Amino acid sequence: PCPALTPLPSAPLQDIRNTVGNIPMEWYQDFPHIGYNLEGKRIYKPIRNKDELDMFLEKMENPDYWRTVQDKMTGADIKLTDEQVDLVHRLQKGQFGDVHFNPYEPAVDFFTHEVMIHPVTNRPADKRSFIPSLIEKEKVSKLVHAIKMGWIKPRKPKDDTPTYYDLWAHEDPNSILGRHKMHVPAPKMKLPGHEESYNPPPEYLLSEEEKLAWEQQEPAERKLNFVPQQYRCLRAVPAYSRFIHERFERCLDLYLCPRQRKMRVNVDPEDLIPKLPKPRDLQPFPTTQALVYRGHTSLVRCLSISPSGQWLVSGSDDCTVRFWEVCTARCMKTLPVGGVVKSVAWNPNPTICLVAICVEQSVLLVNPCLGDKLLYGATDQLLESYVAPEEERVQPVQWVMATMEEHSKGVRLVIQHSKAVKQVTWHGKGDYFASVVSDNSNMQVLIHQTSKRWSQNPFRKSKGLVQCVLFHPIRPYFFVATQRYVRVYNLLKQELTKKLMTNCKWVSSMAIHPGGDNIICGSYDSKLAWFDLDLSTRPYQLLRACGVTLGGTPGRLEGGSQSPALTCLLHHSDLLQNPLLVPVKVLKGHVLTLDLGVLDVLFHPTQPWVFSSGADGTVRLYT
Amino acid sequence: SVPAASETTDLSHLINKLLAAGKADHKYVEFDFLINGQFLRMPLVTHMEMENISTEEVVEIEYVEKYMAPQPEECIFHDDWISSVQATEEWILTGCYDQTARIWSLEGKSIMTIAGHTEVVKDVAWVKQDSLSCLLLSASMDQTVLLWEWNVEKNKVKALHCCRGHAGSVDSIAVDCTRTKFCSGSWDKMLKIWSAVPTDEEDEMEEAANRPRKKQKTEQLGLTRTPLATLSGHTEAVSSVLWSDAEEICSASWDHTIKLWDAETGDLKSTLTGNKVFNSVSYSPLCRRLASGSTDRHIRLWDPRSKDGSLVLLSLTSHTGWVTSVKWSPTHEHQLISGSLDNIVKLWDTRSCKAPLYDLAAHEDKVLCVDWTEAGLLLSGGADNKLYCYRYPATASDVGA
Repeated sequence: PCPALTPLPSAPLQDIRNTVGNIPMEWYQDFPHIGYNLEGKRIYKPIRNKDELDMFLEKMENPDYWRTVQDKMTGADIKLTDEQVDLVHRLQKGQFGDVHFNPYEPAVDFFTHEVMIHPVTNRPADKRSFIPSLIEKEKVSKLVHAIKMGWIKPRKPKDDTPTYYDLWAHEDPNSILGRHKMHVPAPKMKLPGHEESYNPPPEYLLSEEEKLAWEQQEPAERKLNFVPQQYRCLRAVPAYSRFIHERFERCLDLYLCPRQRKMRVNVDPEDLIPKLPKPRDLQPFPTTQALVYRGHTSLVRCLSISPSGQWLVSGSDDCTVRFWEVCTARCMKTLPVGGVVKSVAWNPNPTICLVAICVEQSVLLVNPCLGDKLLYGATDQLLESYVAPEEERVQPVQWVMATMEEHSKGVRLVIQHSKAVKQVTWHGKGDYFASVVSDNSNMQVLIHQTSKRWSQNPFRKSKGLVQCVLFHPIRPYFFVATQRYVRVYNLLKQELTKKLMTNCKWVSSMAIHPGGDNIICGSYDSKLAWFDLDLSTRPYQLLRACGVTLGGTPGRLEGGSQSPALTCLLHHSDLLQNPLLVPVKVLKGHVLTLDLGVLDVLFHPTQPWVFSSGADGTVRLYT
Repeated sequence: SVPAASETTDLSHLINKLLAAGKADHKYVEFDFLINGQFLRMPLVTHMEMENISTEEVVEIEYVEKYMAPQPEECIFHDDWISSVQATEEWILTGCYDQTARIWSLEGKSIMTIAGHTEVVKDVAWVKQDSLSCLLLSASMDQTVLLWEWNVEKNKVKALHCCRGHAGSVDSIAVDCTRTKFCSGSWDKMLKIWSAVPTDEEDEMEEAANRPRKKQKTEQLGLTRTPLATLSGHTEAVSSVLWSDAEEICSASWDHTIKLWDAETGDLKSTLTGNKVFNSVSYSPLCRRLASGSTDRHIRLWDPRSKDGSLVLLSLTSHTGWVTSVKWSPTHEHQLISGSLDNIVKLWDTRSCKAPLYDLAAHEDKVLCVDWTEAGLLLSGGADNKLYCYRYPATASDVGA
């Protein structure tokens, strides 16, 4: 106890005794005193000299130990009063410290909930309580402005349609479900008939022979799997022995037996046929045989027609050349030439009346003396007016004037070659003609000029076995067909212009459209190659035909063949579509002789008629 | 009323009975029946079905005496193909491929052989005949037409004129009704009109003054004559010509047209266009129709006065080859004959267009020419070197009640 302190009535003892202020007491931990009194003398802490043992004893013995605390200010032990202990207990429970505090006081309304007769305030309502809110209007206009400026994007209204999840949207048809779609149900089982009855009519029961036959048959091929039995009554019917077996087989049919739909190809056969124009639209074309020119005794190899269309000349293996009047099939003249005639060609110039005939090793230029007397007289004069040039020219062939005897028959000039001549063909103007020799040297093709009686060999090197040659009707081109290619030479520039690749193994003949831009090559391996000269060097179309094909003619192109039938093809050139070669008609007439049918075909220059010469020794006209 | 299934024989019997009832001495005559201008060739009911004639109305059936078949009379053998034939009441004139023309009697006896051409004779024609002498023409492939005078009594023939001018084979000639002019068509696409009046040597004023005068007289061929006029317009050979009127010429050509010309002015009057080469035409003044034979098997009838391009009035189809020649009957307005490359000559009545009245199948080779005389003689010549003559009684069209 403090000796000098006089307790003030207002201040409790503890307060007076705190002389250090509000400081953490740990500062005075090591010091024996806490604070100073008024005289400046240290206030010593109560001596504590209790050690562990004493403290333990005290804990055990002191009944108030549990309510004794050490005051930090003074260091003395203070026993808590009952009220203080009570307070501590209340605080520990979480209640309020003050005993008299009631946390559950009834609420006292600031204002009463009952409606009173007088309002709280008598202030009249502001206008802003009636009219739309100006603040909100301002806010809204700001929002609108922002939306208009695009700073705020209005929210899209939500679509209220219910969304479903499609389970089968991305189904793989090859999956199991697809297989379910392709389900082919098993064939239905046969319904029980009279044989299955327990008492079938007697006709359904098998007789002895039938039973034997049934037993001998293979189980697979039997119509009935069982023998129909007859029982007195339903009670007597035994169990069916094959029951499980039959059910098993049915199950096998159901799940094991592979069943597949037969995929029928739904191709309308009409679609496979190319859309060719109707033959009716392509008329006129020859359809029937009209005249037969009989007279030759052996195969007629070649034909040619005069440019006027009045006379026809044919050369045959019976060593004669015959001149026919076209409209009556009258043989006007027969010219024996003493050798097999391989080729004839009538001069296409209407003012010159000359026919070139290839007989073995020579080419005869014959004036048939048919038609206008003036014309053939003029031709003769033209031939006679030839003046030999001064110096001798070296020619690969010999130009020989005809003897008197030959002259009387019509022959005017003989051009002697060194080997057998295969083909002769005239140039469109009628002065030049080309002959092909069956040789394999560079001397195969020779070009001759009638007015100058001059022949030349245009090629230095041989490019293959030449099959046939042709002059272009309008332009100065010369076509040489060897076995696999057709070479186009420019006669003015004297050079090779093009090499046409026919995809054929052996070209037999060639023909050119009078317009000059389409060529057809026929070959022995039954192919027809149609070239468009402006287009490319490859065939525009390759057609199949039976047998050897020949060709040639104004306006239309046609093919003869080794079989006796003639097929007439038409070059249909509709400007809207691509040009087509349309087979139009099969002309029959020739008789198959020595396995050969038609050997040469020709069109009439002005009428839609076709001449064909055959191995049966006839020439036929189709109109 | 008549049973529906009756045919011509039944109807014939019926008519005969009716006629016999009227006249005691009526002899049985075969009749042929026409309904609406078409011959009845099948049972009545089938015919009416085909022609869509209703059975409700009264149908008029004309009866005419049945046309008998032409009776073959003569067969005249030649040495070569017969290219043309023309006959009169007494004589037959034929042109042959052996470069001669021949005159025969109606009995088939050869009277005269006219040689002079250097090429095949393609057409022949009589100009005029009287008892003393006759004028005739022959056209040949040697591009000339020769005018001959035949002295009947002495049986001598002389070439009066040689008509030169064509540049190609002269395929057809025709003499006009006044017998003073003739027209020729040739392979040079031209038609030429010549005078058919013989002139003497001194007297050449008949020819127009501006024509070049040729005074050549070859011994056999007579004076050279040049054409009065040349008509050009065809683009192909002219196959056949005829005079359809006093001053009108009709020509058929390989360019698929038949052209009508005015002989006086030489202008083209109209053109009838077809699809096929025309081989031959014939005109009948009785029915004013042109019949044409073409290189298809049809015979077509045309009206030359039609102004349109091509109006085929009727098409007679029965041949199986080119129709090389046609000829109308000079007396009957509905009948014509045609010869064809299928070796048959057919006699047609235009009222029965589906089938000919008669087929005369005597030739063994192509028929090249036919003719019909006023006296009722049908002639046909062909490539088998034979000329056949048939007697066909001349009847005008009879119309019974």
